[in-house]
Amino acid sequence: MATEEGGGSTSLSLLGRFGGLVPGGVYFGLFFVVPFGLIVCFSFWEDFDYKVIHHWTLDNYRYFFSVPDYVGTMWATLWVALAATAVTLGLAFPFAYWLSRYVPRGLQKLLLVLVIVPFWTSYLLRVYSWLNILGDKGVINSFLTWLGVIDQPLSLLYHRWTVVVVLVYLYFPFGALTLYSSIDRFDWDQLHAAMDLGASPLRALHKILIPQIRPGIVAAVIFVFIPILGEYLAPQIVGGTDGVMMGNLIDEFQKEALYARAASISLLIAAFIVLLLVLFRKSLSAREAYGA
Amino acid sequence: MAREAAVLSPRARASRGLLTCYGLSIYLFLFAPIVLLVLFSFNANTYGSFPITGWTTKWYAQVFGDYQIQDALRTTLKVCLEVTVVSVLLGTAAAFPLVRAGLPFPAGFRVAMTLPIMIPGILIGISLLVLFTQVVKVPLSPSTAVIGQSLYTTPFVLLLVAARLQGFDRNLERAAGDLGANTFNRLRLVVLPLIFPAILAGALFAFTLSFDEFVITYFIIGGYNTLPIYIYTQIRYGITPEVNALASLVLITSIALISLVFIVPAGLRLARRLVVSTRRTRPEALPETVAAREG
Repeated sequence: MATEEGGGSTSLSLLGRFGGLVPGGVYFGLFFVVPFGLIVCFSFWEDFDYKVIHHWTLDNYRYFFSVPDYVGTMWATLWVALAATAVTLGLAFPFAYWLSRYVPRGLQKLLLVLVIVPFWTSYLLRVYSWLNILGDKGVINSFLTWLGVIDQPLSLLYHRWTVVVVLVYLYFPFGALTLYSSIDRFDWDQLHAAMDLGASPLRALHKILIPQIRPGIVAAVIFVFIPILGEYLAPQIVGGTDGVMMGNLIDEFQKEALYARAASISLLIAAFIVLLLVLFRKSLSAREAYGA
Repeated sequence: MAREAAVLSPRARASRGLLTCYGLSIYLFLFAPIVLLVLFSFNANTYGSFPITGWTTKWYAQVFGDYQIQDALRTTLKVCLEVTVVSVLLGTAAAFPLVRAGLPFPAGFRVAMTLPIMIPGILIGISLLVLFTQVVKVPLSPSTAVIGQSLYTTPFVLLLVAARLQGFDRNLERAAGDLGANTFNRLRLVVLPLIFPAILAGALFAFTLSFDEFVITYFIIGGYNTLPIYIYTQIRYGITPEVNALASLVLITSIALISLVFIVPAGLRLARRLVVSTRRTRPEALPETVAAREG
């Protein structure tokens, strides 16, 4: 460990310094980078007779964009991701504000932990639990029937908006946590000062609050929007045939062993992710968005 | 805050009350689905939904007697343990150079590290499926699922251990070296005790995440069942009370596991303090005193 001061340059000391990265790096390379490279290649190859032929072509993408249902599913996926992200942030903002401003410090930590608890429970079961609430014999329909408001159960499952509701439920903890950490650092007296100096409340929000909590908003958007682009379980369980998203298309194609088709849709999702990160690259100082 | 509260205008008090109601209703939104699921698992009604016709534990008895579930549980535990070992080893080993070696692009490494957490699991699942079935042609099994899950759990261990190492005073290590400890002993007596809470928390996170993982596993476990996969195959045919009972058990297990992350470090600190206070006079207690003071 004589090199810990940065003095030595023998190969042994280099191994000592960077050796710990080797197993993880090899693992990451073999099972993350290489498979992703395969997806890129496969998406430009061809499915033929349940085999993938190494023949470079744009056919998978041409096919995807020639089927109106698939293109519709792509737009719907973007729309659902956008709507769910907007609703999540809309709900999370007043919540984070309340937690940071009106809850005694000592209690804040406990309440934050409580927000994260559902995140650590099974994702599948959090989706499944909504069947008990929205189903024909679920909590809402039973309650309304009992009240006498309805005599036929309302159809609450298997719509696009059902998927949005469940996604908001699934991703709320991300939104709340990221917004809380930036709102908690904001000095609210600045807002009062701006208004004392003659700014309208809206202008004060726009000029003072939003720029300062932007890193939190961007992080929240990224951590909610990006995973939703690849959702397949929630749309399948609570969305049915009306709620299909791009992830379900991937699943359908891989079940039919059409791996090149599945790969092309995966690459489209990846392209949307890259696009989003590029759009936000200015606000995305790595330190703010990824800091521990 | 208290002083502020005393001079609140009626309007401010109203908005405070309103926001508090809102905050509490958010908790209702977050927990009602989970609580209702557990509630329904005790419902005697065979449809697993309203009306509640009576209370019973017979669905739980069915769960414990179901050999398919026992089989899925065995697979789940095997996968969880392997994932935990793999991610603790890889994550801890990588945390040292990440914090200490002065890597050329620290921000780049951070982004690369969080990628497996951030990108949709379906992309990891489908790309590994293609790798395993189309290129290297290994049969899908719980072992391939371990490979996929570890990709997603290792960054959690890495982040936790790296954070702990960051706040670590390296003079402690140098002092131990000056006192004659060799590399191995410095690691064993100084570094590991200090970062142990982070490793333990990382292991618990990895275990819990693996226990519940569905999205990646679904693609690469082949014909085998973990508990989430088994539940998925069942709920495709609708809600059954037995699945409600199994689901409740799974939910409660993960909540219990994750509570350990918050309880264990405190308990550990307490235990260490007790050990140190009873052994203060003995020389080998020294590193532990150091550890107790640091932790």
